[in-house]
Amino acid sequence: MSDIPFKNPGWAGNTGEFDLSEEEVRGEDFVGTRPVHGGHASGAGTMPYMLAKKDPEGVLFEGEYRERLDKILSRYPTGQAALLPALGLCQEIRGYVSPESMDAVAEVLDLSPAYVRGVATFYTMYNKRPVGKHLVQVCTNISCNLVGADEVVDAFLTYTDTELGQTSEDGNFTVIEAECLAACGFPTCVQINSRYFENVTPAEVPKICEHLKSERE
Amino acid sequence: MAYPYVSDHEVRVLSKHFGDPSHRRIDTYVERGGYKALKKAFEMGPAQVIDEVKGSGLRGRGGAGFPTGVKWSFMPQDSGKPHYLLCNADESEPGTFKDRELIRWNPHQLIEGCLIGAYAIGAKHAYIYCRGEFFEANSILARAVEDAYEGGYAGKDILGSGNDIEITVHQGAGAYICGEETGLMNSLEGRRGQPRVKPPFPAAVGAFGMPSTINNVETLAAVPHIVDNGGDWYRQFGTEKSPGTKLFCVSGHVNKPGNYELPLGFPLMKLIEEVCGGIRDGNALKAVIPGGSSVPIINAEESSRCNLDYEGCEEVGTMLGCASVIVMDEKADIVKQVRRMVDFYAHESCGQCTPCREGSSWTAQILKRIEYGRGTEEDLNTLMEMTQQMVGTTICVLSDSVAAPVQSSIEKFREDYLSLIRRDEQVGAA
Amino acid sequence: MADMVNVTIDGNEVSVPKGTTILEAAKRVGTEVPHYCYHPGMSSPAMCRLCLVEVEGAPKPMPGCVTTVMDGQVVHTQSDQAIKNRRGVLEFYLVNHPLDCPICDMSGECNLQDYVHAEGREQGRGVEPKRVFGRDDFGGDVLFYGDRCVMCTRCVRFMSEVEQDHRLTVVERGNRSVIDTFFEEGLEGTHWHGNIVDICPVGALVSKDFLHKARAWDLAHTPSICDCSQGCNISLHTRDNLVQRIKPRENLDVNAWWLSDACRMDYEWMNRGDRIEAPLIRSNGGSKVLGWKDALQSILKAAEGSDASVKAVASARASNEDLAAFKRLIKGLGGGEIVYRSPRIEKDIPLKGFPQLAVRRDRAPNTTGANVMGMTRVGDDSATGGLEDIAQHDGIVLVLGDTLEDQPTTFGADAELYVYVGQHESAATASAHFILPATTKAESEGTFTNYEGRVQRFWRALDPPGMARPPWLVLGALAAELGCGEAVRSAEDSFAAMGVDAFAGITYADIGERGTVINEIVHMTGV
Repeated sequence: MSDIPFKNPGWAGNTGEFDLSEEEVRGEDFVGTRPVHGGHASGAGTMPYMLAKKDPEGVLFEGEYRERLDKILSRYPTGQAALLPALGLCQEIRGYVSPESMDAVAEVLDLSPAYVRGVATFYTMYNKRPVGKHLVQVCTNISCNLVGADEVVDAFLTYTDTELGQTSEDGNFTVIEAECLAACGFPTCVQINSRYFENVTPAEVPKICEHLKSERE
Repeated sequence: MAYPYVSDHEVRVLSKHFGDPSHRRIDTYVERGGYKALKKAFEMGPAQVIDEVKGSGLRGRGGAGFPTGVKWSFMPQDSGKPHYLLCNADESEPGTFKDRELIRWNPHQLIEGCLIGAYAIGAKHAYIYCRGEFFEANSILARAVEDAYEGGYAGKDILGSGNDIEITVHQGAGAYICGEETGLMNSLEGRRGQPRVKPPFPAAVGAFGMPSTINNVETLAAVPHIVDNGGDWYRQFGTEKSPGTKLFCVSGHVNKPGNYELPLGFPLMKLIEEVCGGIRDGNALKAVIPGGSSVPIINAEESSRCNLDYEGCEEVGTMLGCASVIVMDEKADIVKQVRRMVDFYAHESCGQCTPCREGSSWTAQILKRIEYGRGTEEDLNTLMEMTQQMVGTTICVLSDSVAAPVQSSIEKFREDYLSLIRRDEQVGAA
Repeated sequence: MADMVNVTIDGNEVSVPKGTTILEAAKRVGTEVPHYCYHPGMSSPAMCRLCLVEVEGAPKPMPGCVTTVMDGQVVHTQSDQAIKNRRGVLEFYLVNHPLDCPICDMSGECNLQDYVHAEGREQGRGVEPKRVFGRDDFGGDVLFYGDRCVMCTRCVRFMSEVEQDHRLTVVERGNRSVIDTFFEEGLEGTHWHGNIVDICPVGALVSKDFLHKARAWDLAHTPSICDCSQGCNISLHTRDNLVQRIKPRENLDVNAWWLSDACRMDYEWMNRGDRIEAPLIRSNGGSKVLGWKDALQSILKAAEGSDASVKAVASARASNEDLAAFKRLIKGLGGGEIVYRSPRIEKDIPLKGFPQLAVRRDRAPNTTGANVMGMTRVGDDSATGGLEDIAQHDGIVLVLGDTLEDQPTTFGADAELYVYVGQHESAATASAHFILPATTKAESEGTFTNYEGRVQRFWRALDPPGMARPPWLVLGALAAELGCGEAVRSAEDSFAAMGVDAFAGITYADIGERGTVINEIVHMTGV
């Protein structure tokens, strides 16, 4: 595998001819902290739902979460259209979409539980089983594959001491392969929970994992 | 400039402010001339806006290349039903990464395009279906939409014009097939994202059963510029049949991968050698996929003759698609990459139609067997014949996308397959 | 009047109403286009891709189940391209199919077998390991063999569109997609789930009741009518003179293509072995077997000259012909009141997607027939009680069909003449002077009248046991001897000779296999 000419820490995105900080690239300063109730109704359905903090017994559609669901419902002509954001909300709180969560969503949207199950299992991003604190999704599709995505996957598996698709013993990491994450110009792209890490090489994997472990919730 | 590298060959229309975080702020955007096109569109009236876009020759940038103005004119005039504009920001085609850049660096350009598009087709609500994995882009877009509402550019009585247009950002949940227009509509409605049979077409029965138009992010991002400067201005770039600029997403074995905004018709070799700094390590070119993984692969000889527009790519036997140029050099393992692409399609197939559901995973299994040195020449015949049965026989074209890389690679790189079949050393390293 | 459109299919010209699909138009010229996911009673997703036909002028093959015909269209279903498409699609179906016909119930009536045999490849060329889903118990009567499934989703659409209780769904996507319920929830509590076994084109959904019971090609099919007042058109599948299962017959006026689980599962009673097999006369504390002629003559002799009043119990499970002959006999004996008992459930349970079909409150096939002929319903909803007068009657007691299971051994003990015509003995038949063996609906021809007054025919599927005869034959003969009506030898003639105004002017030919509504539609509400 040849060296890619740009060297950079995986999360800063300092690439090519631009000199930007991580916050600037991710837009964190622009976005700020998003309120639990969803903010403006037009974007209420777009809250990040792959978080490190998970509460499998968390209460779902009450308080500010209920407020958010109501905002989402107001944007569509049918209640059924809120199904995907509602499932995302379950995963945001509980870390995965369990049968109980599907039942709760079915009840609140007046759909049959079997129907909700059919929709939830169609989409890749809804975890059907609990996952580790950090879900590491390494793109191994063609553009990243051409420049060594497989080695990045191996590096993560080695560093976290786990098998593909399994959670590490300390519960911190689950490593899976992902399909194209649409960052092909910055190979290899890794999505960890809700954030993209670009230009990841095997050498940077330990740095990234340490950085994640040291982050506060 | 595109991102992350700048080239002098570029024409800076959509990507002018890539890499400038301040451009996300609405005050900066307005200061630099933003939302002028929206005001102008309200003055022109819907019919004239459609004519202007038709005159510009803008073609759908999501891969189909269908003339946008013509698509908008398909909307019924007096249906009495609510119309919807859908923005397809579900960018999942392997090799494509332009929509993410457009959303995260210049969200208001897209929002303005959605507003103008909605106005032109008589829609009161525009949905931006943004891919689930794009959490950061979704948040940026949501924040920008909120700013647009606050500034009076969206919602009720926009800028005192009497027009009401709502925008909702809808986040997906990880399915490539939801990038297909009717799959997106089903997903928006809270169903499994399976494509629908056409007819009826979206302009008659679309999202929520109402007349709808769906456009790609890049297409809608071009609309404010066309309305502002006129359709003729847009035609100065590109070729006669493929006017305008295009964001080319270059990835693979080049020295400077990234987005480059260039006029359509730009020669492929010039893109690779001059704009992208040539192939890594000075290796020779082996194969190029000019339009994302769903189009046939072309070899070095065909690449040398290829101009990057819709017609030019068809001339060399491939398609421009979404202009995601994936470059493979002599060290690339073609069989492995084709197998990986077919694995992707097998994973993403929705499972409705039998040829796609069974055929994509069967193809992946055969290719895997060949890749690990247990294939036979008979397998190549089976692949050619069986993938031909997947072309044109299904509801959507994912099935055809499986056939494209398989058939083109067997035809043009047969030696790579045969050497694996003969259990020689693997051809490439990556 | 609908606009008509002319289309040519395989060289045959046909004129069909506008909006007809190619598949339906092809049926009219006798061409059956192979298909899986299409079913006339549900929506068409056009996803099996088996019905692709070649349409001249179209760029790609078109799915026949959703493409509406256009004037002047030329369609080829047997062209090289169309056959090649079907061959290709069938090959894809077999790639992951377990090919376990030797242990699959569907063998012999399986669409996959039939289509592949007709148009599939002779030799498969898939050598990859097949995906395995295994067997899943869906609850109720249904077992699901996931490996055999062709993902036509007829079952999912039936539950969600016709029964409107969305219990089944497709889980996962792509090659990993499989039909499933909501985890352990299953199909319990639904009333129509048996239909998904009917509509499954392959052996993926099978009936637990029928599992490994009989081979499809051994079964004889006989049209019949079910046992509730809906009068669903059914088909009795028999082998070894036993009913093995019940399947619905298509009748768009009554039950479309569907059948309730309650009616479907209720066939064991036709297979009971404890039948009265010969005419019996009470003698010396026991009973003696008589031949029919002797039995009938003895009855006539016993009744001769008697002016005792007649009280009779009929059954709503008896056919129109049986009931009419019974009535004529009673008239010949001087007339008398006829009552009947029938079980009822709390209320009708309609099939939401086809509401004229319901699990009817009246759980007997001929309550309307009995009512039209002036008989009165007594007893409660479990068909018990209501016979106190008759049990102690000292005149003539006649019973047709009712097993009197709830009645004491003293029933009819005081009667001057007590004749029991039925299928099974019970404690209450101990005092009967004469016991005559009758056939069930499965063993004779006849008609029932359903809740809306539709007369429908059923045919003979089983051989009656011993000397059992249809009641209309023996009662009609007795009545004729007493001067009421003629002694007829066929069910058709018996129907014609009923002498009931409501049925006047209707013949078996009018009824055919679809039934016909009688002149007087008597709606019996409330009681």
